[in-house]
Amino acid sequence: MSVKIAGDIQSGNVIMVENAPVVVLKAVYNKSGRNQAVVKVRAKNLFTGRISELIYKSDEKLEGVMLDKKDCTYSYFAPPMHVFVDSEYVEYEIEAETLADLEKYFCEDMTDVCEVTFYEGRPISVVLPKVIVREIEYTEPATRGDTSGKITKTAVLKDTKHELQVSSFVEIGDKIEIDTVTGEFKKRCN
Amino acid sequence: MRRWDIFCTVVDNLGDIGTCWRLARQLADEHEARVRLWIDKLESFACLCPSVSTAAAVQHVDSIEIRRWPSDFPAVDDADADVADVVVEAFACELPATYVAAMARRGVAPVWINLEYLSAEGWVDDCHRLTSPHPRWPLKKTFFFPGFTPKTGGLLRERDLRSDRAAFDHAAQAEFWRSVNVAPRTDDELRVSLFCYDNPALPELLQCWIDGATAVHVLAAPGAATEQIARWSGIALPPGTPLCRGSLTVQALPFLSQPNYDRLLWSCDVNFVRGEDSFVRAQWAEQPFVWQIYPQTEGTHLIKLDAFLTRSLGEGDRAFNVGVGQLASSVGAPLEDGEKIGWADATKRCWHAWNDPGGEHTENMASAWQSFIANRLAIQRHGKLWANQLDQQSDLANNLARFVQEK
Repeated sequence: MSVKIAGDIQSGNVIMVENAPVVVLKAVYNKSGRNQAVVKVRAKNLFTGRISELIYKSDEKLEGVMLDKKDCTYSYFAPPMHVFVDSEYVEYEIEAETLADLEKYFCEDMTDVCEVTFYEGRPISVVLPKVIVREIEYTEPATRGDTSGKITKTAVLKDTKHELQVSSFVEIGDKIEIDTVTGEFKKRCN
Repeated sequence: MRRWDIFCTVVDNLGDIGTCWRLARQLADEHEARVRLWIDKLESFACLCPSVSTAAAVQHVDSIEIRRWPSDFPAVDDADADVADVVVEAFACELPATYVAAMARRGVAPVWINLEYLSAEGWVDDCHRLTSPHPRWPLKKTFFFPGFTPKTGGLLRERDLRSDRAAFDHAAQAEFWRSVNVAPRTDDELRVSLFCYDNPALPELLQCWIDGATAVHVLAAPGAATEQIARWSGIALPPGTPLCRGSLTVQALPFLSQPNYDRLLWSCDVNFVRGEDSFVRAQWAEQPFVWQIYPQTEGTHLIKLDAFLTRSLGEGDRAFNVGVGQLASSVGAPLEDGEKIGWADATKRCWHAWNDPGGEHTENMASAWQSFIANRLAIQRHGKLWANQLDQQSDLANNLARFVQEK
């Protein structure tokens, strides 16, 4: 067992909740005004398969579960399973439902090294690198005169068609860095 | 009769204890709750409620048992007797470890509620009533978010608040002014209550009032408002002694009880409020108000401010205009064309100027105030509609009591 701070939780982490291991499907961090930061967690119980929504103060100390982990790359989607492969070409299948929050970044030619987690030999979750690079398939032209990057616009990622907000200077064909924890645009790659 | 323990820490202001005190009384008065209120700083509480003794470890006021919350909270020997049926940690304060351990030992686990700060942001709807299992003990804490939609815990609103407000007539107002040693109002003056944190926009607003054509009578709350005006004017401002400059008269008020603070809000033409408790009361007062949100680093408070503006004005701008127009026509005072488009925008501009002076897109306070006050009647009509809309929702104490009943 290890200590996990609630504010650091991300999709794919496994924590103990009421004596059962649960895999985090989605973690949303909220903070505003005097409200203390809270983390809303959608989690799946690995014993029962039951999905529940929980909430934690961001500084809450939770019980993390020590699990086997292996570096893999994404291979393909065979509904309802996503398939990952390790360096020895062993395939591991994980239910799409468990990876719903990450699917927006999956594409068959992606080379990101993903961390697949195993519980009692069974692959149960995936953690993407904190930062990934993706190409912009479509976005409206930049607003003239604005170079600050403070004004944002919607952009569509190549392959996955996922929409996100990017700085106004980003153009079609640009490669951008995305923070996979927050889902936010970080910067345009040079 | 269920026993409730409400734990409250006073961080740096009176809003937390103000809200907890209202909640405790409402639970006792309207929901047959036996309430213990644990407070770490009785001195702050005594400002709001002078009958509170700062020395007593245990005392009773208005049927509420008030307990000093010591920093070295003692061990709880008899969990069933000493732990309440319902435990509320107000505004995410940290319960004493010995008390939490006793909660876990209790024959029937108590209903544990984390009462959060008020916010109009959309995520609050999604997080209200979610639970947080304790990492070590067999206990679950439920997060309760006050708010402005039926998906939240609602707002504090005593059963008789709105009828008391409606019954507050000219005679009652005159009696109130007498009771707080403030001169009766004159027909041509604008009366303003001022409760704020230290605010860089205040000197400009004071100068605007001095230079204006309308007489403005400001009633300043004790604390930051009075102290900042005293620094600005270079003159001490004891309660009761008016300071007059140009068109402006400023008078410091003593601490008012919560019922009297409500009467002040009902009696003034415009109310400047701050934090959470007075912000909610200003909405029930149905008078134009300007909210100063508790300032935070990184500007997170401005997001919360805009969320409220959007919820109360923005999304419903057109709809509210139709509604306000109908209401105005029904009382024989149809809106002028200018009023129909200006009041929501004027409100936003004035609130931004008050909360983000010097901000990139912020107008200066004097001109924002002029727009606000020019739209005062339309803003007031909107305030009435907004209060009626909020009144359709169940109130916070009732929602809490119902939640506990369901457990």
